[in-house]
Amino acid sequence: MGLRKKILQNRKNHRLIGSGLVALMLLFTGFFYLIQRGRDLPGALLTNRVLLFVLWYVNVLLILVVLFVLLRNMVKLLVERRHRVLGSTFKFKLVATYVGLSLIPVLVLFAIATELLRGSMDRWFNSPVAPVLERGNAVAQGLYDSIEKTNLRDAGRVQREIQDLDLQDPRQRPALTRRMQSLLGELDLDLVAVYEGREFVNGIFNSQSGIPRLPDPDRSFLEAAAQEGHATAVQTPPGTRGSLLLAGVAAPNRPGIVVVVGSLLDPVLTAQREKLVQDYQAYRQLVVQKDDLRASHLLLFLMVTMVILLASSWTGLYLARRVTLPIQALAEGTRRISGGDLSHRVDVVADDELGVLVDSFNRMTEELESNKEQLERNNLELTASNQRLADERALIAAVLENVAAGVVSIDSQGRIFTCNGAALNMLRQREQDVVGRPFEEAWGDPDRKRLAAAVREVGRGGHGSKEIHLTLGGEWKTFELKVTALRDAAGAIQGGVVVIEDLTELIKAQQLAAWNEAARRIAHEIKNPLTPIRLSAERLLRKHQQGDPGLGRAIEEGVEIIVREVVTLQGMVDEFSRYARMPRPHPAPVDLSRLVGETVHLYRNLKAGVEVEGDVDAGLTAVWIDGEQIRRALINLLDNAVEATEAPGQVRIAAHPVNGHLEIQVADTGRGIPAESKEKLFLPYYSTKGRGTGLGLAIVHRIVADHQGAIRVEDNAPRGTVFTVELPIG
Amino acid sequence: MRAKLALLGFFLFASQAVADARISPIKIELDGGRVLASFTLRDAFSPRFSERVDSGLPTSILYRFVLDRDRKRWWDQQLREGTLEVVAMYDAVARAYTVHYKLDDKLIESRTIRDRKSLEEAMTRVEQLPIFSVAGLPREWRLLIKVEAELGSRTILSLIPVTINTDWKDSPKFRAPGIP
Repeated sequence: MGLRKKILQNRKNHRLIGSGLVALMLLFTGFFYLIQRGRDLPGALLTNRVLLFVLWYVNVLLILVVLFVLLRNMVKLLVERRHRVLGSTFKFKLVATYVGLSLIPVLVLFAIATELLRGSMDRWFNSPVAPVLERGNAVAQGLYDSIEKTNLRDAGRVQREIQDLDLQDPRQRPALTRRMQSLLGELDLDLVAVYEGREFVNGIFNSQSGIPRLPDPDRSFLEAAAQEGHATAVQTPPGTRGSLLLAGVAAPNRPGIVVVVGSLLDPVLTAQREKLVQDYQAYRQLVVQKDDLRASHLLLFLMVTMVILLASSWTGLYLARRVTLPIQALAEGTRRISGGDLSHRVDVVADDELGVLVDSFNRMTEELESNKEQLERNNLELTASNQRLADERALIAAVLENVAAGVVSIDSQGRIFTCNGAALNMLRQREQDVVGRPFEEAWGDPDRKRLAAAVREVGRGGHGSKEIHLTLGGEWKTFELKVTALRDAAGAIQGGVVVIEDLTELIKAQQLAAWNEAARRIAHEIKNPLTPIRLSAERLLRKHQQGDPGLGRAIEEGVEIIVREVVTLQGMVDEFSRYARMPRPHPAPVDLSRLVGETVHLYRNLKAGVEVEGDVDAGLTAVWIDGEQIRRALINLLDNAVEATEAPGQVRIAAHPVNGHLEIQVADTGRGIPAESKEKLFLPYYSTKGRGTGLGLAIVHRIVADHQGAIRVEDNAPRGTVFTVELPIG
Repeated sequence: MRAKLALLGFFLFASQAVADARISPIKIELDGGRVLASFTLRDAFSPRFSERVDSGLPTSILYRFVLDRDRKRWWDQQLREGTLEVVAMYDAVARAYTVHYKLDDKLIESRTIRDRKSLEEAMTRVEQLPIFSVAGLPREWRLLIKVEAELGSRTILSLIPVTINTDWKDSPKFRAPGIP
């Protein structure tokens, strides 16, 4: 039977139990009424054998029903326990408790009631009334026995007195009557009669005693007297007050003749005696029926006990089922849900706490099902998302593998997480030597130590770039590092990405382009003096050919022009020669403050209205640089700045350590530099002034680069230009 | 179901107790088509039985008679059954016993008996009681009469009522005088 069906049946049982309880109440009321009425019922009814057997079989039936109900349920529970049905243990305990709680008190009550009844009945029959009744009965019977004995003696005398008379002879009847009359008075009798067989022969009675007429003795009495020789009887003739005690004696020599005498007992005495005998008999009957009486009461007790037991057991089982069915349903639900069936619902309608529990369980199941569906949806989305991410990762990996720039990712512990092929090629390393190792260890060899230092340095600021030069495999390489920190949502640094760009070829190309430009500019610069030289030479030749008298003058002027232009060419060649012969820097501890001070001193008051100032951090007293080269770079920068600044203006040179490196700024309030010129500013022979060799800033760039530093140009605020030189300290 | 029937049968069986009384050999006489049975119930007046009689309660001895056809190789076939109930009641005032005889629940005789000995004889001695008619039964059938006496009831464990019965007594086998 399904659980739902059981539960529905249980609800029907609810009404059934209610009806049963009402019926039980009515039954008990009926029992109570019967017991009350039973006091008025005759004892014979209560001890009736049929009633006893009926009660017994009703009890047997009830016992069987109770046993059937209990055993059936117990066997079912044991079978459920053996098959490990969910909730069976709890149900078993609950049913055992309920049944035990109802069974034990009822049985104890029955045992106590039984013992009380037995004790009461025993005390009842052992009361002192019994001896009194027995003695009273003995006295009454003794009185009768005494009278009967006297009567028998008197009857014998009458029989002897009349034995000589022929009773069949009518002529002797008067004599018989006289003799009987005489004996009636003499013996103080109330009746004297003679019978032959059952036939009356003659008789007289004492009319003053209260006997209205001669009574007819009982036939059995006459027969007994005739057969046995004598007999006694007690009669109450109609119309007579009191009992008539008869005694009959048979005549020994005349068969069939019976002489009967009688004494009328006093009515009061008779009544007292009868009452005494009747009471004694009633008592004896009670004693005889004692067992039956006790049995009938016990059976009634047992019947009521069995009915209570049946009702309480049934109610206990019903209550146990009412509790265990929802729990079993919940246990079954839990099993189904743990098995993955989240659509299962516990279908129990209950108003009590179990109902609340079932509702909560169902709500929890609904939420579980909803959450599971949501999880499945999320899982699908996550799977798709992961697939997308994997695709993107593959794409990024492919891109990273194919980009020309080297890309290295570093985790928060400083370990290299990924390193693409371009980076490995640039740095001439194998992946297994790099990935998974701290970058300072992976790049700790002397060739790459600068790379590690640059990454560390740039990485401090969160992001930045730096150009470095490494000698790898004997080749001079220039790299640009771009370091970007990776941060989480809270802003904490989780690692970084290093993008390495190999600028070697680019620089070569730039240098080539620069040399091309230089060649063009040189050609142009050379071409410019050559033209006056050629024109002067041609003029001299023409003057000579013409024989011009102003030839001397022309020679003087022409030679002057040619010499001047040659000087210009000479200066140009010297400058180029110096740029080309610029030596490698030789760093040594330099007091930067002093160096800057001396340099600034050269330009102070050089241009009216242009103020030149220096501001150097006091701690920069021993900076490892090539002092002369740096001085030359600063002079070039200050030279340009002062020239570009109109009065009133200001040129300021400042030197401070910033983020582990030395930063020197030369700022002016001059006319500034157009954006399109900034890119070409450090190329050799590029000039915005329209004069000079255009090698000044190229020399500055060369000096800074030789010091492993960098230089950049920016607009000054509100106007002017700022050149920033960054040099490593030490 | 069988278990319940067995249990019920046990209780029914247990509701009988064997009496100390016993039935003397049964004498069978045929009077035409009638069977006259004579026997005596011995030791019926136990102290308990006597006490009940003397208390004035109606006290009965119920004789059950069964007429069976005797079969050698099979169970006997029951042909007829009948009862004789002898009920005695003592009148302590009149100091006499009244005895009623009921054959198959029909009153056939009443007697007044004045002494105990006569009462015992009247209740336990059955003389030529015309209990069955065998007229019309095949002559070749062997017949027998079985008699059992029930002497009231008592209780076991103060609770379970049981009737007091004698064992069944079989009469000598006889044949019906009827159809040859």
